Amino acid sequence: MTALSLPTSTAADLLEGFPFPFSHDSYRYSTNVEPARSPVATPVGQWGASVVTVDSEYHRELAERAVLLERDPSRYGVLPHMEVACWDAMLVLLRELASARPDAFHLDVVDAEGPTYRWRNDLLGIEQTFVVGRRETLPAEPLAWACQQVQEDVVLLDQRSGELYGDAGVVTFAADWSFGFDLGMTFLEIHGPVPRVHAEGVIPRAREFILRLQPGQVYRRTNWTLTVGRRLDVATETYPEWGPDRAMVLHVDDDAFGHLVHLRVEVQHLLRLPESGAVMFLIRTHLLPLADIARVPAWRERTAAVLTELPQDMADYKGIAAYRSRAAAWLRDCTSTTTPAPASPSALAPEESR
Amino acid sequence: MIRLESSSVPTWAIAPEVGTLDQRGRTFSLVVIGDPGSRHLPAARAIAEAWTAQLAARPAGAVVHRELPAEAAVAVLTADLHRALVGHRILLTGTARDCLAVRAAVLAAGAEDDEVVIGVVDATERTVWCVHCAATTVTTAALEGETSCSGCSRRLVVHPHVSRRTGHHLGYMADAEEQPWSWPEPRA
Amino acid sequence: MAGTTGMSGSVRERLRLVVVALDDSVPGIRSLVLADAGGAPLPPFTPGSHVVLEVPAGPPGSARPRPTANAYSLTGENAHPLDYRISVLRAREGGGSAWVHDLAVGDRVTALGPRSGFAPVQRAAKHLLLGAGIGVTPLVSHLRSAVRWGRDAELVHLHRSGAGAHAADLAELAARGARVTTVTDRESFTALLDDLLRTQPFGTHLYCCGPAGFMELVTAAAARSGWPASRVHTESFGVEALDPGAPFQVAVAGRTVEVPAGTSLLEALEDAGLAVPNLCRQGVCGECRVSVTVPEGGRLVHRDLYLDDDEKRAGRCAMACVSRALPTSGAAADLEVHL
Ligand code: HEM
Ligand code: FES
Repeated sequence: MTALSLPTSTAADLLEGFPFPFSHDSYRYSTNVEPARSPVATPVGQWGASVVTVDSEYHRELAERAVLLERDPSRYGVLPHMEVACWDAMLVLLRELASARPDAFHLDVVDAEGPTYRWRNDLLGIEQTFVVGRRETLPAEPLAWACQQVQEDVVLLDQRSGELYGDAGVVTFAADWSFGFDLGMTFLEIHGPVPRVHAEGVIPRAREFILRLQPGQVYRRTNWTLTVGRRLDVATETYPEWGPDRAMVLHVDDDAFGHLVHLRVEVQHLLRLPESGAVMFLIRTHLLPLADIARVPAWRERTAAVLTELPQDMADYKGIAAYRSRAAAWLRDCTSTTTPAPASPSALAPEESR
Repeated sequence: MIRLESSSVPTWAIAPEVGTLDQRGRTFSLVVIGDPGSRHLPAARAIAEAWTAQLAARPAGAVVHRELPAEAAVAVLTADLHRALVGHRILLTGTARDCLAVRAAVLAAGAEDDEVVIGVVDATERTVWCVHCAATTVTTAALEGETSCSGCSRRLVVHPHVSRRTGHHLGYMADAEEQPWSWPEPRA
Repeated sequence: MAGTTGMSGSVRERLRLVVVALDDSVPGIRSLVLADAGGAPLPPFTPGSHVVLEVPAGPPGSARPRPTANAYSLTGENAHPLDYRISVLRAREGGGSAWVHDLAVGDRVTALGPRSGFAPVQRAAKHLLLGAGIGVTPLVSHLRSAVRWGRDAELVHLHRSGAGAHAADLAELAARGARVTTVTDRESFTALLDDLLRTQPFGTHLYCCGPAGFMELVTAAAARSGWPASRVHTESFGVEALDPGAPFQVAVAGRTVEVPAGTSLLEALEDAGLAVPNLCRQGVCGECRVSVTVPEGGRLVHRDLYLDDDEKRAGRCAMACVSRALPTSGAAADLEVHL
């Protein structure tokens, strides 16, 4: 078992771009989808302008993904009929990278026959000319290759007979679920373990919505939990490694607690892939320690309120029952020396973020 | 608490249940699944007989009736589906554990849900897949009960979560949060 | 094939197109090539998709007193389209198809889409495509995609003797390896059908498009031949699109707001400067719920996925992004909205 290390200070862009998820002082599940690509302003910055997000963790997270895939190849899976969807997904991901960061990524059609594309990723020093559908023109399988270049986790859902099946994906940063186990399940089966959402109609409604999603439409939603440590990989596979930290965190002092406990927010995008008709589900994980949440008074108060009010079954499901009260109390009481001064946008020097 | 009726566990893997035969099928592979001498065979044979009686009016050869252990059933049905034409149905009867395993293979061979009918005679036994070491363990533990992993010996929770692709229940470590922990390393 | 359908809840994703070529070589059928009016590339689409063309109202007293919207299958290149191609059968005087048949090169049209509701099943071992007459149109793009990706596909086209729609496209795809059969009388097709449906390898999916009688013939034969529902797909336009609805008036905040056809109540309220919280604008999230009163004789059409049946029956609230009121004669407003 590897011990966590206390994180060093958070890069400015991670705070400025943090997708704070709470719009009320209490939180319940809902079919919270909204049209994507519109920026959301926060007290310290904004998020959501693009479908994929590249930040100062780009190199580190992609290196971590490579290590995880090496150690556990089941984090990547493609059922045989998903080949076209993988090409589709790759093209959309490259296109979204190029539109999010035109300074760093370039996708050009060099020949309409094929068609043939040239791709340049300046951050990773990649240059590749490829023909859609021709595997030998890429250094890896299309979805795997694209996922070496985006921080998002990806699930591709096949639609057939009015049902959605999670039949392909690369998921290295799952929040307590197993992609390898869920591969091939229907949308409803995947959500089987989630409390409340079936009786309350949240998941059946989401399913109806996704079934009708059209090419060109992009929607997004957020989901959240708490994670001990800046740990992206909290898949069920590695639970024996990270599970004990949920007990450990009850014993550390207040300063360490505020730096260890992170608000984990997933920005999830949903879009229909044009050629295959499959649905692409993107999960982009953002982690911000409570110590940084506390730098923004509105975030500090609201997070404390949500954690206090959250019903027990939801806290149990999220695996935060043991320490959410302490997290709420920490946020409420952290006006002492443990907290950095409240941040103002100007106080946050832009580090080499973009 | 997971509501079983909206979970990924098929209802017939919670309590024995016999599916409705789709009379529109033109040809059928009917398999009674079970090891020779299994105490569940008589009940499965009875379900198979009820099905064949319903199909008695079919021309000779339309129903191929076999009795096989799960592994052999997988091989035979995969071969059947390679040769079959649209209009074929698969009828499986046996324990929930065997039906889950054989159904997984049949779906992988291209069958759709509405081409497979399941008749379950017993749902007490399940195959649990350890998410930590990938070993499988056969157990009679209840859903949300515990079993010991045959691969890594961890105590596993039998999660009410079933894969249609493998037919396995998900098992995850029961006492991970009660294990010894280490203090975090100081900041670099 | 054409079908009358509506527009989605939103009017804010329209394509401005221009007619760049016309082909009237098949009697009664007009094929059009439409390009983006500004010369931009057009959005890619899933094989089997259609676009919805907005058909303006005809002159007063004509067969088309109100604007309508017609869906037409896209037959051209789908992955990197430089233009959209559709084919339209002249149906009846004054209808939407007559309007299409009167278009000239250079005319502008407004379209919504493309929308997919008839996609090839990626898991199919083989694709059996059966089309009659103009119903071959969505199958042409299926076949094109099958040839591109090396999928096993077989197409049978039933049409009257003489030239069939898209004969040239089909011949070109056949030259690239697709199996295409043409049948010109219904008896031969019926004779062929049972045999065809009883000899398909397990894993085949069937796609059928044509006049209602043809589709009934095929789906009944498929059921007789033991095909399960999951393997039989018929073209059904507009299942996912919402009807533009009729215009209606709402009384809100002491004023009257007009909600035109094709504009949602939510959009109309926003345009009137009245903010309503919203997220999905699709009737699923529940954010835009507003309290309403339906006047005597009025009717509320909910159309959302959010409210349960009891709430819908009670009629005291509506989802502004998709719900509409029916215009009722007499009342000053067709619906009262309480913000
Ligand atoms: C509008 C769409 C969706 C909604 C409203 C939705 C909703 C939810 C909710 C409320 C949870 C519980 C989260 C928590 O408390 O931490 C959840 C979990 C999850 N969702 Fe979704 N979801 C959507 C789309 C998807 C899609 C497309 C996938 C694709 C694979 C997916 C995969 C999962 C998984 C794997 C879990 C964890 C389940 C487990 O515990 O095993 N979701 N979802
Ligand atoms: S905005 Fe979501 S239901 Fe209307």
